[in-house]
Amino acid sequence: MTDSPSENTPEGFAADFAAEIGAERWTADNDTVHVYVTRDKWVAAATAARDEAGLGFFSFLSAVDWAKEVAVGEPADDVDNLVERYEVLCRLSSATEASAIILATSLDKDDAWLDSLTSVYAGAAWHERETAEMFGIEFRGHPNLIHLYLPDSFEGHPLRKSFALGAREVKPWPGTVDVEELPSTTNVEAAALSGDDTAQSAPEGEGS
Amino acid sequence: MTQLDGRGIVEVSDGGVSVELKGETMTLNIGPQHPSTHGVLRLVAEVDGERIAKLEPAIGYMHRGKEKLAEVRTYAQITALINRIDWVSGFANEVAFIRAVEQLMGVEPAPRAQMIRLILTELTRISNHLVFASSYPLELGAFTPLMWAFREREHIMDVIESATGGRFHPNFNRVGGVKPAAGGGKTQKKVSLDLPAGFYAAVENAMDRAELACDELDDLVTGNEMIQMRAKGVGIISYDDVIAYGISGPNARASGVPTDLRKLETGLLPYEGIDFDVITRENGDAFDRYLVRILEIRESIKIVRQAIGSVPDGPLQAKVPRVLKVPPGSIYVRAENPKGEMGYYIVSQGGRIPYRVKIRSASFSNISILSKVAVGQLIPDLVATMGSLDFVLGDVDR
Repeated sequence: MTDSPSENTPEGFAADFAAEIGAERWTADNDTVHVYVTRDKWVAAATAARDEAGLGFFSFLSAVDWAKEVAVGEPADDVDNLVERYEVLCRLSSATEASAIILATSLDKDDAWLDSLTSVYAGAAWHERETAEMFGIEFRGHPNLIHLYLPDSFEGHPLRKSFALGAREVKPWPGTVDVEELPSTTNVEAAALSGDDTAQSAPEGEGS
Repeated sequence: MTQLDGRGIVEVSDGGVSVELKGETMTLNIGPQHPSTHGVLRLVAEVDGERIAKLEPAIGYMHRGKEKLAEVRTYAQITALINRIDWVSGFANEVAFIRAVEQLMGVEPAPRAQMIRLILTELTRISNHLVFASSYPLELGAFTPLMWAFREREHIMDVIESATGGRFHPNFNRVGGVKPAAGGGKTQKKVSLDLPAGFYAAVENAMDRAELACDELDDLVTGNEMIQMRAKGVGIISYDDVIAYGISGPNARASGVPTDLRKLETGLLPYEGIDFDVITRENGDAFDRYLVRILEIRESIKIVRQAIGSVPDGPLQAKVPRVLKVPPGSIYVRAENPKGEMGYYIVSQGGRIPYRVKIRSASFSNISILSKVAVGQLIPDLVATMGSLDFVLGDVDR
């Protein structure tokens, strides 16, 4: 594992591994190594991570929905230049050392499928089932790609950004609406009662 | 006739059961409401006589959609959400998340707060393992250990409550430090700005009691012939399966994998100066998983005793902006939760709320091995195996 000195840093490790598997690019910001591969290299890259780089420990597999429009939460940073896609992430690490990578690939939203990793990592089975139901991504070659959490009859894919969150539909967020004013003690009345004429509308809280 | 469809839903036809089942396997539903399933877990077992031919866990009864909920909350609000993932070790859930946010923001947490986080994490670990050490014998038919271990655990819960204000859900971590402790102030208006008076003495006392509890449990459970007969050689998980399934924590260490994120993730909490051993066992059976946890309680007691002597003076909070805005970027930070690797993958887009939070919980991966390890077991052995994995359904379903 530590033949070359460059492997001692996350950057060096990422560069070596990315060169070995022919990755598109890699990043190592925040000590978190991302190695980006194309869809056709997904299984081969994961296999190489296990067999060549000693990253046999299956940590997790999930996805991020990069969307221009979001039904909940805040939109992405640079919406104009955003490429709409699903980014599938799979973290593989060493069980006994700190080295790890997050393998990433981008899927077109109209063509969201990926080869299953279940033949390489047995632990991928549940993670892929979860990602499939939450994002609507098909994992080809998965032995049992049925719902994991959601009922069979559930429609939609909850972690997609287009999926609205019911609680936020009925109650807007964020803002002072979370704390409703008591009917009898508006700020004006409170100020009058206390004789304090500097009282203003409640300052916006940190979170709510 | 009963049969499994793909999801493990059982369809019962109108036919006479006794006639049609002759010579066939039978589908047996264990749970979702069953004392041995630690919540609402359903195991759909295909049994061939007394032996399990096939097992499919059906989960999701406790699914609360925390990853979606996190997308509409500020970073400060999310800690309240995530200490409900694994409610037996609430405090430990918070640490990796808050460290991830701190690292994204480039905030260096207050050293005093870091050591307090370490102490509370280890107290939580002892508490978690005591719950395991009490509930596991219960599943094997022993009732007394439950009472004894819970009695001692209560002292630890009192200590956690005195510092954080919460027994199960501390919500104690803030970006840059910990919240000024509850209680200890002279009047209602004044809040104490530090740990409550007598905190260290209470911790010492709780540690002495916990050590006593370990001795008692060793006498009562560890050396108990019936417990050993039920748990030894049962539910063996191989080294390779631990790696491939992503099993972590005490379950991995019982199979001989020397993994401990307290040693690996050195930047997380100040464990470097503290002397403790990573407990591993070789057999990977249910009894080793029990034993690893009992021995880990003793290690955690060692850690806490060293840590309370080396809490630095200073503020509980580093300086942070009043409104937390996290620079764009993504990060994965993991910590050694009492149940294993608890990690958060956070994608920030520069705002007050995250764009995406992926929660990697230990129990989810840990119990995914059940369908493999259960094949060929007797049903009582399945209960012995399942209990030894120490999972909580909130940690499985999130």
